[in-house]
Amino acid sequence: MKMFDHHIHMTSRTTDDYQAMADAGIVAIIEPAFWVGQPRTHVGAFEDYFLSLVGWERFRSRQFGIHHFCTIGLNPKEVNNPDVAEGVMELLPIYLEKESCVGVGEIGFDDQTAAETRHFEAQMQLAMDFDLPVLIHTPHRDKKAGTARTIDLVKASGIEPGRVLIDHNNEETLPLTLDSGCWAGHSIYPNTKMDEDRMAALVQQYGTERITINSAADWGVSDPLKVPKTVAAMRKAGISEADIETVVWHNPVSFFGQSGRLDLGEHGERPRIDQSELWEGNSVLRGQEAVVEPAE
Amino acid sequence: MSGCFSDILWARIEGPARNWLAGAWPAADEAPAIVRFRAAFAGAARRLRDCQLQAEDIRALTAAGVIGAESWQIDNVARTALLLRALSALPAAGHAEFVRQVYLRGDYREQAAVLHSLSFLPQPEQYLELAIDACRTNVLDVFEAIACENAYPAAYFPTANFNQVVLKAIFMAVLVGRIADLASRVTPELKRMVMDFASERRAAGRTVPDDVDLIVNLETA
Repeated sequence: MKMFDHHIHMTSRTTDDYQAMADAGIVAIIEPAFWVGQPRTHVGAFEDYFLSLVGWERFRSRQFGIHHFCTIGLNPKEVNNPDVAEGVMELLPIYLEKESCVGVGEIGFDDQTAAETRHFEAQMQLAMDFDLPVLIHTPHRDKKAGTARTIDLVKASGIEPGRVLIDHNNEETLPLTLDSGCWAGHSIYPNTKMDEDRMAALVQQYGTERITINSAADWGVSDPLKVPKTVAAMRKAGISEADIETVVWHNPVSFFGQSGRLDLGEHGERPRIDQSELWEGNSVLRGQEAVVEPAE
Repeated sequence: MSGCFSDILWARIEGPARNWLAGAWPAADEAPAIVRFRAAFAGAARRLRDCQLQAEDIRALTAAGVIGAESWQIDNVARTALLLRALSALPAAGHAEFVRQVYLRGDYREQAAVLHSLSFLPQPEQYLELAIDACRTNVLDVFEAIACENAYPAAYFPTANFNQVVLKAIFMAVLVGRIADLASRVTPELKRMVMDFASERRAAGRTVPDDVDLIVNLETA
C-alpha cells in the first residue's frame, strides 16, 4: 500500500531512515518548516533552513525514491523572538512561491501569546493570498483550550475550513476539529500525542473523512515508520484496506493537492531512483555503488 | 547583597585560577567588551573547577536570597559575579541587551548561570522577556534553571506565562514542588488547565502525574 507521511522533519533524520521508509511503502512526504531544537539567533539561519527544505533535503529524499514537498511558515515558538520574527515574515513570500511548497505551515499556538496570535493571523492571510492550504500545529500545553482558540481564529480569518488541517489531535480535540469543517491530523508518537492502537480506535469511531495520520518525526525520540506501523494496527483492528488507504494516501493527497503543486507523477508512483545524480556537486553516496533505475 | 558573589569567589580561588580571574575580571571604570566578556564567562567553569565552595559560602548565598544554594558550584558564583561586575561599568540602558547577548550565545550551562543570576542583577524586571523565552527551551537543564529553585518566575511572570511554566514542568516530569513560591500564584485558571491536562491523559489511557493533584489541592492565591 502506498503511504504519505504528510508531517516529518527529515532534516533531522538519516539516510537509513529514508531507506527504511521507502522499504515500508512511503512514497511521498511533506516536511513542514519548524524549529530546529534550539532558537535561531538571526534571520539568515531561517533563510538557509528554507533553502535546504526546497533544495538539498528534496534531493536527498528523491535519492531513495520518495517525493519530498514542504510547507513554509514561521513556527509558533520563534514568532516570540523579536530578533527574527519580522525578518522571517518578510522572507515568507519568497519561499511560498517555490514549486515544492504545498502549504503554509506549521503555524499556530505554542504558549498562546499575543505575538503568536498576531503572526498566526498574518500567516493565515498569506495562505489566502497565495491560495495555499494550511498546516496548523496545536499546543502541547493547554491543548484543548488551544485547539478551541485555533478554530476560532481559523473561522475569523475567512479561510475555507476545508483548506485547513489542524494537526496533533487527540481523543478530546478530534471532535472539535471535525465539527469545525477542518481536516484532522494525528501525529503518532512513541510516548506522547497519539499511538497506533488509539488511532485505530479513533478511525473505528469517527470514520475516515478528513482524517489523516503522520509521524511528525524530528530530532527528538520519534519514529519515521509510525505511518506504516499504524497501517498494521488498523489492519489488526479489522479496518478495511480501502479505509486505511483513504487515511494514509487519498486524504493527504486530496488535502495538499489543493495547492495545485502536489506533483506526484501521473499515477502517484514513486520517483525513479538515480543515485548517480548530484546536487550542487554533492552526492548522498559515500563510496557505495549508485542505484540507477532504468527510465521507462 | 550583590557584593556577596564576588566576595565568595575571591575568597575561594587561588593559584592559577586566581591569576586567570585577575586577567579576566572586568574593569571597574570601562564598559566591558562583549567578546572578551563572553570568553571569560565561557571559561569560568573550566578555569575555576579546582576551587570548591565551603559550607559557609552556601550559608552566605542562602542569606543573599539564593534558593537551592547547596546545588550551586563555583562557576555559578563566578558567572553571577562576572555579570554584576560587568554591568556595574555599563550604563543602565545597555544592561538588558548585554545580558541577552551573553545568554543567547552561551552554552547550556552558561545559559543556566544567567537564568540563576537574574534576580540578583539591577532592575531584574527588565529581563522578563529573556526569562519567558528561556522557558521555551526543550533542554531540561535550561528549563530547570529558570523554573526550579528560582524566585524569578513567581516574582515577575504575568499569569499566563507563569501558568505555562507549571504546565511545562508537569510535561517534562519536573516536580512542581521545585517551583519557588508556587502556592502564591495558583489561580482557578491554572487549576482548570491542569485538570484539562489530566482529562486528556485519562482519555488517552495514560497515567496522570501526582503533581496534578498537588496543584488542584493547593488553595487559590
